[in-house]
Amino acid sequence: MSEYAVEMEHITKIFPGVKALDDVQLRVKPGEVMALLGENGAGKSTLMKIMSGVYTRDAGEITIFGKKVAGDLNTKQAQEMGVAIIHQELNMCNHLSVAANMFLGREIVKNGRLDKAEMNKQAVEELAKLGIKDIDPDAAVGDLTVGRQQMVEIAKALLIKAKILIMDEPSSALSNAEITEMFRIVKELRSMGTAIVYISHRLQELHHIVDSVTIMRDGRYITEGKFTDFTMDQIIANMVGREITNQFPRDDANRGDVVLEVKNLNAGRMVKDVSFKAYAGEVLGFSGLVGAGRTETMRAIFGADRIDSGQIFLDGKEIVIKSPIDAIKNGIVLAPEDRKLEGLCTKLTIRDNIALPNLDLICGKSGHINKQIENEMIDKGQKSLTIKMASADVEAGSLSGGNQQKIVVAKWLARNSRVVILDEPTRGIDVSAKVEIYQIINKLKKAGICVIVVSSELPEVMGISDRILVMCNGRITGEVDAREATEAMIMTHATQFGDNAA
Amino acid sequence: MKKLLSVRGMASVLTAFAGVVILMIIFSIMNKNFMGRNNLMSLSRSICPYLLVGIGQGIVCITGNIDLSIGSVLGMSAMISATLICNGVNPIVAILIDLVACLAVGLVNGALVGKFKLPPFIGTLGTMTICRGLAELVNGNYNTGDIGTAPLATLIRDLFYYGKVGVIYYGVIITLLIWFCFNYLMNYTRTGRHIYAIGSNVDASRLSGVDVFKTTTVAYLISAFCSYVAGLVVMAAAGMGSMQAGLSYEMYGVAAAVIGGISTLGGSGLLVGVIAGAGVWAILQNGLTLANVPVAMRNIIIGLIVVGCVLLDIMRRSGIKLGGKKKPV
Repeated sequence: MSEYAVEMEHITKIFPGVKALDDVQLRVKPGEVMALLGENGAGKSTLMKIMSGVYTRDAGEITIFGKKVAGDLNTKQAQEMGVAIIHQELNMCNHLSVAANMFLGREIVKNGRLDKAEMNKQAVEELAKLGIKDIDPDAAVGDLTVGRQQMVEIAKALLIKAKILIMDEPSSALSNAEITEMFRIVKELRSMGTAIVYISHRLQELHHIVDSVTIMRDGRYITEGKFTDFTMDQIIANMVGREITNQFPRDDANRGDVVLEVKNLNAGRMVKDVSFKAYAGEVLGFSGLVGAGRTETMRAIFGADRIDSGQIFLDGKEIVIKSPIDAIKNGIVLAPEDRKLEGLCTKLTIRDNIALPNLDLICGKSGHINKQIENEMIDKGQKSLTIKMASADVEAGSLSGGNQQKIVVAKWLARNSRVVILDEPTRGIDVSAKVEIYQIINKLKKAGICVIVVSSELPEVMGISDRILVMCNGRITGEVDAREATEAMIMTHATQFGDNAA
Repeated sequence: MKKLLSVRGMASVLTAFAGVVILMIIFSIMNKNFMGRNNLMSLSRSICPYLLVGIGQGIVCITGNIDLSIGSVLGMSAMISATLICNGVNPIVAILIDLVACLAVGLVNGALVGKFKLPPFIGTLGTMTICRGLAELVNGNYNTGDIGTAPLATLIRDLFYYGKVGVIYYGVIITLLIWFCFNYLMNYTRTGRHIYAIGSNVDASRLSGVDVFKTTTVAYLISAFCSYVAGLVVMAAAGMGSMQAGLSYEMYGVAAAVIGGISTLGGSGLLVGVIAGAGVWAILQNGLTLANVPVAMRNIIIGLIVVGCVLLDIMRRSGIKLGGKKKPV
């Protein structure tokens, strides 16, 4: 019997066009909490999906409790071998009871009828093992707090005799008190001999529970070791590690006056007391981890989501934005994060998409579409953004990702906008299209427009911005001059969760 | 032809018109009278209510919604006008009051679906039931009597059904005029673009500054207006108001729109197709009647043909996709 609960060696996974994992290794002992660390896109989730059988590996070996996995591992086999995963977004049927969720797919049936009493009894026993005595097995899961739901999910994993538990960002949706309780349960599991892979971006919380760490970057294994052998700075350096090359064409322009000022903006759960200023002829970058509230902040400024409180000033004058229509009238425009869901009408033509927000300019008062103005606008957009298309009358959805992104940007350039907000403008597009988008950003900056770029890629946000604001947990936690910024500086701000900030 | 086919959605429209031609050939072989002048004139007139509800339902479908209240608004329209006229109200005033009442239903639909975000199926199911109730209520749960032969009442009968220039009925002219206006609206105006846009992607449209509530309401107002006119046509034809007027017409509207190539999922389709869609529907009714097919059989045959038509269109479209997945440009 091997001393490890699970050993993964030389794991390689290739998605079309991308090597997601390249010769990665990972080892966890029973009764050990191992933190798997890395930036967004480092390959942590892919590796865990391979361990739990969601993805199949292209190369490499997996050994679970000394038994080599021959061939592809599927989810059912993985479960039978004792691997369970607690997802970031909990997978529960909200309308069903706690016991029903725990026994989903393996219900106890007696004489053709569900044996609810037995299932309730076992559910209570399983929860009690974790020291949880006050969850009613008949309560609907949707009525429990997120923390409680997570405990039910952990109990469910124990019910199927999980020996290796993967926890993907378990603390991200929990309150402080709930996190303390979750840590207690994790320690409980550890003392029961369960091997735990703990994924978290909250570096500050690791010291409470973690025994060892494995660090990944860009789909590669970087290092592993005892947690106490690393300093926090070493961990961050290993996570971001890559050299910053000057692949970003930054043009310097003269910064003008303050164009947009946001004061004490609150909107929903994800935007808390956000204040900042943005200048003409400046690229203002917004960095932070996924879920830090950057997109939500931008949507609130653009009027796409409701603002709870706060003020927005344009050229020093307060403006009221209740809907995107108000924002557009004031010259504030947004190219949203998800092209297919929010950016484009994919079934409509390129022409229709570019013209859509500009029909007021194309139509004038009469409401009749002036084809000549429309054609000029599309020609201009196509030329200035070098959009490759057969004709303006093909479906926007048929274009490549990069060209779709250009359409999303192009539709806003026909107007004299003051503030252009680009949310993840280069997500999922190839390198050459990225550079073209950067050039467009520079062109806008030179024209004296205030450009706000939200990006999760650190090199990108450092490469194209003049100034970077870092958000964490709905708040702005830091401001860095892009010229002096290091990835470690940004990561430090980005992991400053209010409760145990460094 | 090539240029025509390059217009998106035109292929479905041409398929529908081909269907019209094929059906006409089949029925003219089955019955010599089918292509007779009298029958063609009567056919042109019977297309009108189908075309009207098809325009309304088609435009609502393009926004990605549905209007189940069409048939009831049609019935309400017929009942309100006829009741008012029978009670001595000036017929012109009567149909104007009727217009206001019908447009109010459109507004309510727009508010329910566009503002309060009710699923359109449920929201308009509610107004459908309410409007049928109103249609029954107006004349105290009775059909109205004859609207009489006073000059203005006769004018209304002629205008919407009986009157003609040469071989063309006024009703056909009015219907085509309405089609022409809305076709212009859909293809050449900002409002039309917004209607297609919210049907294609409501979130992207909102983020592009489209007023989703207003656009949805406009679509439901158009639908209510078309039902209103169709109600007048039905009332003029019968010379009275019937509480049953317009039963199932919301579905005839769906049929005309879908056969004409409009997607019930929203965002695509051309209004010109509705002419063919309404044509197929009316020709089937007319031709099968002439061929002495019993009513029950007629319904079964029409149902099968409609499903078959749409199935063919879907197979043709998905076949294109399967054959060669569209490459990014």
